[in-house]
Amino acid sequence: MPSLSSEERQQLHDSLLELLGDKYAFEHWKKIARAPGGEGFGRAEWQEFADMGWLGIALPEEAGGSAGGMTELGIVMAAVGRFILLEPFLGTVVLCAAAIEKAGTERQRRMLSDIAAGKLLLAFCHAEPGGGYAREWVKTVATRDGAGYSLTGEKGFAIGAHAADQLIVSARIGSEAGPVGLFVVPRAAAGVSLIQAPALDGRPGAAMTLAGVKVGADAKLGGSDMDMLAVIDEIIDRGVVMACCEAVGAMATVTDQTVEYLKTRQQFGQPLSKFQVLQHRLVDMSVSTEEARAIVHAALQALDDKAKDAQRLVWMAKVKTAQCARFVGGQGIQLHGGMGMTDELSIGHYYKRLTMCETLFGDAEWYLRQLAQRREAA
Amino acid sequence: MFIRTVEHDTSLDKFRAEVRDFCERELPPVIREKQKRGQHLEKHEYISWLQRLGSRGWNTGKWPKEKGGLGWEPAQFLAFQEELGRAGAPPLMSFGPTMAGPVIYTFGNEDQKRQHLPGIIKGDLWWCQGYSEPGAGSDLAALKTRADRDGDDYIVNGQKIWTSTAHWADWMFALVRTDQKAKKQEGISFILLDMKTPGITVRPIIGITLGHHLNEVFFDNVRVPIANRIGEENKGWTYAKFLLANERVGNVDVAKVEGNIEQIRQLMAETREAGKPLSDDPTFNRRLAELEVGLATVKALMADQLAAARLSGAPSLMGAAALKLRGTELQQGILQTGLDVLGRHGMVYQSDALNAGWNGEMIGPESSADVIYEHLYRRAATIYGGSSEVQKNIIAKGALGL
Ligand SMILES: Cc1cc2nc3c(=O)[nH]c(=O)nc-3n(C[C@H](O)[C@H](O)[C@H](O)COP(=O)(O)OP(=O)(O)OC[C@H]3O[C@@H](n4cnc5c(N)ncnc54)[C@H](O)[C@@H]3O)c2cc1C
Repeated sequence: MPSLSSEERQQLHDSLLELLGDKYAFEHWKKIARAPGGEGFGRAEWQEFADMGWLGIALPEEAGGSAGGMTELGIVMAAVGRFILLEPFLGTVVLCAAAIEKAGTERQRRMLSDIAAGKLLLAFCHAEPGGGYAREWVKTVATRDGAGYSLTGEKGFAIGAHAADQLIVSARIGSEAGPVGLFVVPRAAAGVSLIQAPALDGRPGAAMTLAGVKVGADAKLGGSDMDMLAVIDEIIDRGVVMACCEAVGAMATVTDQTVEYLKTRQQFGQPLSKFQVLQHRLVDMSVSTEEARAIVHAALQALDDKAKDAQRLVWMAKVKTAQCARFVGGQGIQLHGGMGMTDELSIGHYYKRLTMCETLFGDAEWYLRQLAQRREAA
Repeated sequence: MFIRTVEHDTSLDKFRAEVRDFCERELPPVIREKQKRGQHLEKHEYISWLQRLGSRGWNTGKWPKEKGGLGWEPAQFLAFQEELGRAGAPPLMSFGPTMAGPVIYTFGNEDQKRQHLPGIIKGDLWWCQGYSEPGAGSDLAALKTRADRDGDDYIVNGQKIWTSTAHWADWMFALVRTDQKAKKQEGISFILLDMKTPGITVRPIIGITLGHHLNEVFFDNVRVPIANRIGEENKGWTYAKFLLANERVGNVDVAKVEGNIEQIRQLMAETREAGKPLSDDPTFNRRLAELEVGLATVKALMADQLAAARLSGAPSLMGAAALKLRGTELQQGILQTGLDVLGRHGMVYQSDALNAGWNGEMIGPESSADVIYEHLYRRAATIYGGSSEVQKNIIAKGALGL
């Protein structure tokens, strides 16, 4: 994988923090998140991120990307987490771009240029209500209909689906026993009905039903009826590791902010940071952030190296990161006292985002179970 | 003190049946329906229910008989809370019956008892707690809101913060500074304020739940009769601590906690992992069992404190601290489990569904908005009533002599 040099990575990291720190302070975040009648994210911001080359960081050069690896994309996602950016990175750049790149035909891969350019928003609609975190659970069916397909089924809540141009929907081809295919479905297609709702962290998204949604043959990613479950597995793993990166960034902010808060908040005639029990708590938050960062880096490296045990590392990273996120997010609120409970302060919003990162694609308990089952099988 | 398990006390069966029957007949359908969905009650709805309980003396059943209560044994109070929880009734209100009332009947004068206790017993009036200030949270004694004498009145100036349901309150009990020069604990008085008094401004604080429960309360030359002071001037800290111990025992509403466990049990049955309900999953059942062990322990700790309160007029500061510490951790543990189940539904938080009249479409189980609301709100359980860190300091100093 032609990754960036370490200087280039550092530059990327610096430019992200510089621009976002400058323009994406919490006040700005609030304006976008709470804009009356808004979409829950900023279109102008998305365009700016595209212009900075961040959306295309891991996309091929022919799509206008930088051909970076997972490590580079991870650097971007950590910054997304640091500033709890509202724009649809995870859905569009992490999941759907991976689906198109891994499964798409030459022609379909042209969509990647639009993603890099910030002109195409996508949402990955795979999970279904009865499936929980099980990745192979697909009941939606795509029956052949003339030259194309007709899709019927139900998909769970996906962040950003309300504003996506296209949805990438998994469905079994032919019947409930058929191979799983991935279909590019316009959000506005007849038969797609969205139930819009906010996520725990306030980001809008939608669950959906597909009732005989007609799409052309070219809507199916790839040329054959090959079963895409293995590809979906890779896509979700990419989602997992990128959600971890986001969490690591968010944890870093929570720790920094809490350190700063305790240094200034006075009780009992001294700053709270003078109490040793709180110092140790802050140390635990900081070390937790560091632990998560370390194992997530290892997982990114394993993916970039195409290491044999990459998936195992990704899953381990998810377990650790989820556990750390729960601790750091919870303590962020706890140590802010009443202030931590307000919608006004950012700390609660970080808590919510960390909670999302913890559960997205499966929580610690779920991955522990998968890891245990693998050991048994081995 | 020995552990009493409430479940085995068959002498309470008749009382339990009475409470069940009462809830069956008296709980208004609107409230029942809202409770089922976790929807916010209006003040008048809540009051109407408290008044019904009041007609039986049940708001204050645990008060001694000579103070106007029913002299319930701890086991009976716990049984009462459990039955309310199971019937889907709103939780008991603590500001009047658990906090203000006992301070008034223990330290107040006859006029004050006559004026305030009937309203609390009957459930007519809503109270709020004016303790915390921007600069006085854990260090409560650092409070600055001042009350200066002017004839028969105090003139109150300053600010309270985090005042739960102040926007509903008819009365506030508040700590104010009446001696600017004394040591900080020794210049505090405990007063009762009519919230309609001119000069009081209540400003909402929106919480991470997106709901309005907290407030800032500002006092601008508010005239409060000196007759509204409880006990002696500058002795308020003693009464404040007495109240805090009671508050901490009341912080953990076992009925509510029990209701949450039941809610999770139902959520597990409704939620599927690869088509199979989580209620079939040994890991989740193990977690439930663990939470039940926690609940049994907290109930036992609580029975001890309620018994101590009966024997000596108040729970022990240490015992209340231990109970508050573990009880709130348990509460958070339960709601975390709820969230872990709900995670499978895509982490949707339709907070609007908690408002009456919402007619949108719910994604996932019906109780999900309520569980998430509770999860978020109870992050504060280890903060309000004195944070967990403060409880530990109390135990370290008071019990371990550190
Ligand atoms: C939902 C909610 C409802 C509330 N309702 C009311 C109400 O109705 N009336 C009312 O008067 N108040 C109410 N409060 C206020 C509550 O009592 C205070 O928030 C609490 O006492 C903590 O004070 P603080 O917020 O100023 O935090 P701080 O005191 O600033 O504490 C911040 C952090 O530092 C820790 N800390 C502080 N001192 C020490 C120490 N010495 N050693 C170790 N750690 C320490 C704390 O534990 C906390 O984690 C409510 C609060 C919340 C969140």
